[in-house]
Amino acid sequence: MVPAGVNTPSRWGRARALAAVALWSLIGLAALLLLAKSAQNSSEFGRLQPWIVLLNVIGVLALIVLLVRRIWQLVRDYRNHVPGSRLTARTVTIFGALVIAPLLIVYFSSLQFLNRGIDSWFRVEVRQGLKDALVLSRSALDLRVQAEARRTTVLARSLIGHSVLRIQGQLDQARRADSAREIVLYGANERVLAASLRNPLADVPLAPPASLVRTVSDRQTYVSLEPQANGRFVIRIGVPLAESSGAAGLRYLMAVYPVPAQLSALSNAVQRSYSRYGNLAALREPLKYSFTLTLTLVLLLAMLAAIHGAIISAERLARPVQDLIAGTRAVGKGDFATRLALPSRDEMGYLVHSFNDMTKRLRRAHDEATRSQQAVERERERLAIILARLSTGVLAVDRNLVVRMANRAAAGILGTDFSAATGRALPDLAAGNERLGQFVAALAVRFARGREEWREQIDLGKPGRMMTLMCACTPLPGESGDMGYVIVFDDITALLEAQRDAAWGEVARRLAHEIKNPLTPIQLSAERVRRRLLPILAPPEAEFLERSTHTIVQQVESMLQMVNAFSEYARAPEMHVSRFSLNQLITEVADLYRSHDPRASIELDLDAGLKAIEADRGRVRQILNNLLINALEALAGQPAPRLQISTRLEGDDDAAFAVMSVCDNGPGFQADLLGRIFDPYVTSKPKGTGLGLAIVKKIVEEHGGRIDADNRPEGGARIRIALPVAFGKRLGVHKKRQTLRSEQA
Amino acid sequence: MPRGVHRWAGMLGALLAVLAWALLRTVALASALDGALAVRSAYVNFDHGVIELNAHVAYPLNPTILKALQNGVTLSFDVETRIEEVRHYWFNDTVIDVTLRRQLAYHVVTRRYVVRDAQSGAERSFASVDKALHYMEHVHDWPVLVESQLHGGRYVISVRAGVRRGTLPASLRALLFWTDDWQRESPWYSWSLPV
Repeated sequence: MVPAGVNTPSRWGRARALAAVALWSLIGLAALLLLAKSAQNSSEFGRLQPWIVLLNVIGVLALIVLLVRRIWQLVRDYRNHVPGSRLTARTVTIFGALVIAPLLIVYFSSLQFLNRGIDSWFRVEVRQGLKDALVLSRSALDLRVQAEARRTTVLARSLIGHSVLRIQGQLDQARRADSAREIVLYGANERVLAASLRNPLADVPLAPPASLVRTVSDRQTYVSLEPQANGRFVIRIGVPLAESSGAAGLRYLMAVYPVPAQLSALSNAVQRSYSRYGNLAALREPLKYSFTLTLTLVLLLAMLAAIHGAIISAERLARPVQDLIAGTRAVGKGDFATRLALPSRDEMGYLVHSFNDMTKRLRRAHDEATRSQQAVERERERLAIILARLSTGVLAVDRNLVVRMANRAAAGILGTDFSAATGRALPDLAAGNERLGQFVAALAVRFARGREEWREQIDLGKPGRMMTLMCACTPLPGESGDMGYVIVFDDITALLEAQRDAAWGEVARRLAHEIKNPLTPIQLSAERVRRRLLPILAPPEAEFLERSTHTIVQQVESMLQMVNAFSEYARAPEMHVSRFSLNQLITEVADLYRSHDPRASIELDLDAGLKAIEADRGRVRQILNNLLINALEALAGQPAPRLQISTRLEGDDDAAFAVMSVCDNGPGFQADLLGRIFDPYVTSKPKGTGLGLAIVKKIVEEHGGRIDADNRPEGGARIRIALPVAFGKRLGVHKKRQTLRSEQA
Repeated sequence: MPRGVHRWAGMLGALLAVLAWALLRTVALASALDGALAVRSAYVNFDHGVIELNAHVAYPLNPTILKALQNGVTLSFDVETRIEEVRHYWFNDTVIDVTLRRQLAYHVVTRRYVVRDAQSGAERSFASVDKALHYMEHVHDWPVLVESQLHGGRYVISVRAGVRRGTLPASLRALLFWTDDWQRESPWYSWSLPV
């Protein structure tokens, strides 16, 4: 996978670059061809010039546009701190400086050299020399022209007054003498009167030039030096004959003399030099200007191309670095699948290869770590589920008693909410929670003593509501290396009670067994002693015997009752569960006691919503009997005895309880007995076995219920019993106790 | 940004300014050949199957031209004739494209203006530039085409006049590409060839 930002040369990009190169080559080639064609054929120049200009302008503009775009992009990247842009800018600067510096040197030296070179062509000495040569040539030719003009004038004068025949002879003679090419005598309307030609077969006298005719018409001598196509010069002289009068009778002589070949050649040489110099001189400024312009254009193109090339090269250099940066960032963000394309087989390629190797290893390690983490997470979840389902409280704290972890059972046992307690100190959480406060104090005491591993029983709560925890503490190394503790604790209150109940049951059973057996012989023996001795004893002794045996029998009876009560407590009868109305049972029992003891003021406050419960009706009646007997006994002697029985339906459908409260306005329980009030043989009454409340508690627990006792703030005792509405739902505790009891037995 | 990029931008700007100045100057200088340059009239004669052109053109003459001539510069005065076959489906087919070129130079030794036919090499000299121009402005019976070269169809004959600085070496001509303002051509003067 290639991360975003990694440059990969696409096929399209390569094709575009090739197309651009091809286009450039075509434009350049076309411009060169056009230029060459125009240079060879000057007539083509005008036609091709616009195209050449257009092609060049297109080329330069395209290059400028490309370059500006590149530079703009570079500047933008530089400002946006795009990775690699600084490297590119620096490389471009260095490359550009390396190329541009020599270019500029060559440019300025070439410019100076050309300008000076061109100026040197047109030195003042050369120009002056040419002018002098020209003057010399003109002077030489002028001398010749004047000589020929004089000669012709003389000839013209000599012709005056002669006949045409004579003149012809004179002309021939003069032509031969003066080496003239032709001497022609014209009359009116350029009519040839006489002519002497050097080559009469080839030449015919031509019409005189109009300017000659005009000049001689004005009685002036016409003098003209004319160049010929063959590079020679001819001197043409026109002289009017003096005797002529009027235009009609005008006669004039035209003589053409060739200039000597040497003089012609020299003059021609001067002429050619002058013409060539003139042509070049006219080009002096345009040449300098053109050279400057051409060189500037070439420099501009070279600079543009150099900068463009430098940017491309720099980008090509920086691209692998950019890829590496993008790849590193991708890896930094966690994308270990990053793979970079290998740019080349050089050092950069080796670096990229190493990077790819590194990401491969990283990915492998990351996958491994992820798998391990997932396994740990799974374990942790499993542990959390186990901890949550445990009935044993588990609490992990550090040295400062800051909670690291607590399970649901711990919260339930300690009566606090640990859901948001992680990271908070236990003493802070204990504010307002007496039980947790005691627990924390107990822990603190042990930690203060330097004990780190211990297993002890801790009693929490206040008298009457004591809770006993079996607590084990083990040091636990923390994640950051600091030590902490894991405290595992279990509420063993019910267990201890069950143990105590079982012990008392055993005591009761043994008492019943061991005491009951000798009581009957004692009673029988006493009665036998009475029956035997009473008749034979004197009245005073008989009365003494009668009182003594009566006392023995009564005490034995009393002891038998007590033993039977113990036996009843120890007995575990079969449960006969039925569905009945608790309210109705309470009403019946209350009525019974009202009729039995009219003084008793029994008030009922029964919840009409409590329909029926599943329980052993007989045993529940026994509960009521025991409680009412206890209460009425406690109320004996009270000026306004009052007994209240109330029922309430509590809990939800899953765990509905019928809660029954029995309150009186008697003296209440003694404070020192309150914690043990349900233990057997605990009683505040002078008479009594102390088994009434113990049996009540036993029956309640057999039904899976709860019982507690306390004193009302306004005075009097209160006993609160909660029985499950549906029998069997709360039998867990009962069964546990029964099992424990049978084991002890 | 690094200082280098700014330096380049400045250098690039300076070069572009030089180029712009040069191009502006080229445009401003295109006035050396100012003056009338046109084909005033033209017609053809058929003489024994030969098409001969007769034309009256106007060539420019101004002090710049005069001075250049007197300084030894040679000027070419052209009359270009082109005969095209009209094609409706494509560009016209050029049957012939011929140029009558005369070179005018000032003969500084003889102080005369020499007109030279570039093709035949024939020369004529004139005492004044006006006479030389007058001579060149009238084209008489210039044979341009043999009638047998035409194959029916419709033909258009076009004539234009041109002036330019002549006899430049090819290398210089290429170099003077930017600044050669000594070159002008008249618009085409066209009419249908009566075949």
